[in-house]
Amino acid sequence: MRRYFPIFLALLVLSLGFYAVHSLKKDQQRVSSNSIGNFELRKTCAIQPLFLSKLKIPQPIAVDLSQDRYRGVAFLFGQNLSQAVHPKSWMRFDHFSSYILDPEGNMYLTPMPYISVNPNTFNLQKSIYKLDSNSGKLSVWMSINEVKAGSNNPFGIIAIDYDCDDNTLWVSAIDETDYSTQRGVIYHIDIKSKKILQRVEGIDALSLKLLQSDQGKYLLVGSARESLLYAFYIDGGMLSSTPQKLLALPDANEHIRKIMLRGKNHLELQTIPFSYTLIAQTVEQGIRTNYNAYFDIRLNSWKLSVKK
Amino acid sequence: MNREQKISVLILTLGLLGIAGYWFITTSTPKEEKKAIPERVLLPNHDAGIYRNLPEVKAYIDDIHEHLNRGEAVLALDSNELDSAGIVVQKLLLKDQDFLKDTVSFDGQLQHNDMMTIRPAIISAMSEKTQVICQKVTCYQAEKYNFVSNATTRAIVDVKNQKVLEINRFADMQPDVSLRLTHIAQAIALNAPEVKAELGGKKPAFKDMSMANVRGGLHDSPCDNANHLCVAPTFSYHDREEALWAIIDLTDLKLAAAKWAGLGKTSTPSCISERSLQNRHIMENFCQKDTLHEEDGWKFAYRITGSDGLEVVNASFQGKDIIKSMKIVDWHVSYKAKEGASGLDTSSDNYVAGRRIEYIKGDNDEFFFGYNDAMGCPMFSTSVVLPFNAPRIKPLIKAGKKVGFYLIQDYRNPKWPMACNYRYENRFEFYRDGAFRIVGVNKGRGCGKNALYRPVMRIDMALSNQEELFKFDGAWQQWLTEQSDFQKDAKVYDQDKYLYKIAKKGSDEGYYIEPNRGQFGDKSRGDNATLFATKYKEGEGEQDLLTLGSCCKLSEDGVERYLDKHERIDGENIVLWYVPRIRNDAREGHEYCWADTVLEDGDLKVKIWPCAVGPKFVPIQRGQ
Repeated sequence: MRRYFPIFLALLVLSLGFYAVHSLKKDQQRVSSNSIGNFELRKTCAIQPLFLSKLKIPQPIAVDLSQDRYRGVAFLFGQNLSQAVHPKSWMRFDHFSSYILDPEGNMYLTPMPYISVNPNTFNLQKSIYKLDSNSGKLSVWMSINEVKAGSNNPFGIIAIDYDCDDNTLWVSAIDETDYSTQRGVIYHIDIKSKKILQRVEGIDALSLKLLQSDQGKYLLVGSARESLLYAFYIDGGMLSSTPQKLLALPDANEHIRKIMLRGKNHLELQTIPFSYTLIAQTVEQGIRTNYNAYFDIRLNSWKLSVKK
Repeated sequence: MNREQKISVLILTLGLLGIAGYWFITTSTPKEEKKAIPERVLLPNHDAGIYRNLPEVKAYIDDIHEHLNRGEAVLALDSNELDSAGIVVQKLLLKDQDFLKDTVSFDGQLQHNDMMTIRPAIISAMSEKTQVICQKVTCYQAEKYNFVSNATTRAIVDVKNQKVLEINRFADMQPDVSLRLTHIAQAIALNAPEVKAELGGKKPAFKDMSMANVRGGLHDSPCDNANHLCVAPTFSYHDREEALWAIIDLTDLKLAAAKWAGLGKTSTPSCISERSLQNRHIMENFCQKDTLHEEDGWKFAYRITGSDGLEVVNASFQGKDIIKSMKIVDWHVSYKAKEGASGLDTSSDNYVAGRRIEYIKGDNDEFFFGYNDAMGCPMFSTSVVLPFNAPRIKPLIKAGKKVGFYLIQDYRNPKWPMACNYRYENRFEFYRDGAFRIVGVNKGRGCGKNALYRPVMRIDMALSNQEELFKFDGAWQQWLTEQSDFQKDAKVYDQDKYLYKIAKKGSDEGYYIEPNRGQFGDKSRGDNATLFATKYKEGEGEQDLLTLGSCCKLSEDGVERYLDKHERIDGENIVLWYVPRIRNDAREGHEYCWADTVLEDGDLKVKIWPCAVGPKFVPIQRGQ
């Protein structure tokens, strides 16, 4: 038996080599493809904040981060959403960019600088804020001290999504980026321990959305820098290092601000012009465009149309 | 080596070859992407006036005037653009009151319209009812464009029965352009000095040009200014794999911008926009680096800052250092309301046009409200008033003679001159005799009358690290500590011009400061400024300042924070802060710091009544 050992060893080496090459090839194919497989709407694990029920606020309730009428966050309700829950204490961290809800009804919010900056504006951009489900108290949940917004780029933490599978947050920051180099970071944060599990550098994510397809789990990223939608493959809770380029918008000035899952192989993308300044987002009226993006699995291509 | 070892080596060799084959053969080699050719952006250096004498443009403008004088708002298509049915359709529509309904303004003035295309109707342009009719008869569709309202009107006509079947209007949309406008766009592109200069001084050839009528379709425009009709003739050079895109604004009849780009699909964007081209050009050339300029004995660098406008740095005259830094860091804008302070709800923020409004309560139920406008780079900044076009340098002419030159940068809110939008100019004048002037120009329009504008100017002289500042009150009195002075209160000026002077300690080497009291021939109503002198300190305005102080607290200009310790400035590096106060005027015939849009000769024209403020610095030896 011993004399056959070299043959077994050779076969073992070959098997390992083949496995490594095959895996590498699969990764390469995935990155060069614009497909993430079939995906469908999934039931969300998020629930509304419980204090809204305690206050007997009737449905439907809308979350308002528009800053048109209210600074910070407001919950709109009643006929034509004309009434609002908006205590003064919700204004103390200025304006918010995006939010997500967890299975307990806690709301996590990311900050946003808004036209008139004040001495505290930049400092607010490094934190993730939490609106407690039971008490309705708004507080700083976690600060990432390496995020440093400033006058040359007033943006810090900007996009967020909640991972129902492992009670973690995916958060992006774009403060490090300047005109010549994209230095955005995506953070994967464990909610319980507030520990940063992974930190991926080099991409400015203006929007984030987790998606489960028949090929696996992905983090979709709307680029702040380009008019592109990217997908990072998530393997064992970790982002792959290279994203796939899924689709490009027809107008180079548009950037994906919001990614919504609408049905089978169907995304809705909301875009805005974005130039790392404070003007375009607020002064221009009617600047948002909504696109329907369908993935045709047979043609292996995305079809984009303006949503009327 | 025994038999088993030989077999294992063979297996290993063959296996590795197999794995290599699997990797190389089954992996499709992606086509190597062509290296993207870096894009270069050109902004126009000339006004629309230089194109007015081109035969195509002149004939077109004359034609518009003739039509308007005849009481006709719509410029018809030439018969060579129409077939026989098209001629019938055009004749019918030019008499159709419904089709022409939007060619007159609410006060009865004619608005310039062009008939753009008349051709057989396509099914997607028709309603279902019209489709049924047009299955039986020949139908044509006609499109006209209103240059004033930026709207397209489309009519479907039953040619046989000469009946208008339907009319649709599309607000803020532009149609395909007529052959005549295509020729005009070609003429402008072929004669644009900027295009010629890019091609090594050689006039571009007609054969190299294509796509002069190309637009993004009815819904999209290649020009970012969505209120204008734009096309993009392109000069292609296949040997260099490059193309020069000339964006022609057919509303203003001028070159809007141009750009070199690769011919490959990978480097040609799907939609080019004048604004984004400008932004990139300004970022790459004026925000990312300093530009050096040398003229008339002056030598300096300039750059666009993140939020402090255009900055001149390290200026010298005839080899002597004069200015370390000179810029306008902020415009405070405040409005006065005569009553209502008691009813003000300031518990939450209020916004106008995206800006947070600050309220300051005054006496007798008065209150002041407003905001601070920062000017800066179009990307990666906190500015809200953005640069339009790049900085320009032009000659200063007095009595027909060049006496120096000036550097100017235009900043605008995107929707200026609409209400609550602003336009400012930063202007720096340099004279052959060593004098210079920092000028803030306001071109309105703001949110209304009763506005008070306060540009905050910062001038750090480089005469010496030991400087002295004096004020004239019949004799020159030195300021020994940090302080301020309200120029309007001054009763007497040295030589009837100079109120302050700054000099190298212990010498007469320096500059008189001549506040503007309307003597500079620019119709200014004076500065009414406050001058602050502070000791130079890091973190006090050398770097980009965010908005400084309150917009509306008229007892403060924001600079006060830097002189609260009243430190000694005698023999120190002194920084001057000069804050003029300008009240706007919207009264007819007295307009000042104001802009308005009026309908003139069928097209919208912007009327501007600028106000210019800022002191002149005159060398002491020359000023005596």
